[in-house]
Amino acid sequence: MRKAIAVHSYKGGTGKTSIAANLAALMAIEGVNVCLLDYDFRAPSIQVLFKVRAQKTINDFLEERCSLTDVLLDLSDKYQADGHLYVGCASSTTESLRDMMTKDRRWEMRALHRTLSAKNKLYDDLGVEYIIFDTSPGVSYSSINALASSDFIILVSKMDEFDMEGTKELVHGIYDTLGRRTGLLLNKIPMEQFPLGEGRKELEESISKIFNLPFLGVIPCYCDIQADGGRSLIAFEQPKHPFTQGLSEVMVKVQDHLKRL
Amino acid sequence: MPESGQTALVKLLEELNENIKSIGAKLDRIVSLQEALREALAPREKTTFEGLPLDVATLLSLPDHLRKTALALAELGEATATEISKKTGRVRAAESDYLNQLVAKGYVKKKRRGHGVYFYIEAH
Repeated sequence: MRKAIAVHSYKGGTGKTSIAANLAALMAIEGVNVCLLDYDFRAPSIQVLFKVRAQKTINDFLEERCSLTDVLLDLSDKYQADGHLYVGCASSTTESLRDMMTKDRRWEMRALHRTLSAKNKLYDDLGVEYIIFDTSPGVSYSSINALASSDFIILVSKMDEFDMEGTKELVHGIYDTLGRRTGLLLNKIPMEQFPLGEGRKELEESISKIFNLPFLGVIPCYCDIQADGGRSLIAFEQPKHPFTQGLSEVMVKVQDHLKRL
Repeated sequence: MPESGQTALVKLLEELNENIKSIGAKLDRIVSLQEALREALAPREKTTFEGLPLDVATLLSLPDHLRKTALALAELGEATATEISKKTGRVRAAESDYLNQLVAKGYVKKKRRGHGVYFYIEAH
């Protein structure tokens, strides 16, 4: 399997980065070679989440100062994963954040071309099976570049009206236009609203109908994860946690969709 | 020369000076009209999109069939219509037509190398 997945959402705070990072971790645990790329240049957080300090970043790669493989850190030994877990971090220095805000359309076009052509190098040279892009929320050049470079989009949404309305617009205006298959994942659902049994099935069906998208799952809001504040990777540190279990089910559904592409 | 004759001469010179000034102003007007006329009659430069980057904003604004071709070319960087058709799964003739439409719009360039025609996106 040589497929790229983008994890995206309309608004910030939906848990995109956590979903992307833990999904990559789960795949590596299963023995899959996976590469997680931080394309959220406005709020990079992969370095903090994986507790690593990257010498070279995706910003360097996009600025044509190095290749994408130079940027990647192989964290499979650190987490004792069976598959390779490559991570490409974005720079979080103020200078880089400011620099990324001033890029023009021509630069963004080169960034898209570099991203698209580097994917094949990851598949061919490193044996990567899945590439996962963590993206900026909403519509920004970097996030659309990542979406255009992906085969499948995991659209993460919370259950609030603003998020859902904007999400519908994203589906119609961007994903459909780019011709990308998309699956919907509801995340951070308050426990008291989290339906069980038949109720859950009904919710899945109605949401799926509203967005006209396949449903990937519903993940409740876990207070302990919120309290942890992104300091640990739940998939590695708490494999039996219901969040990890729920995301494992999502992973299987995503892989099924990718097989059918 | 009597005083009345001198006065008449000064008056004549003043009139002559006024006439020369008036002729000068008319000549200036004629020159500027001539320039305006030349500019108006000059063949207009062809409007071109050249230099517009084929970025995602442009990609999103393209019709579906051209977007698929453009995305394939964005990935390959440089390719023949045959190479694009292998990527998109559409026939070569269609891809050749779509690529030439993208060339006409100024988003893509083409060059001949040997017997092949290569399409590319100018990145720099």
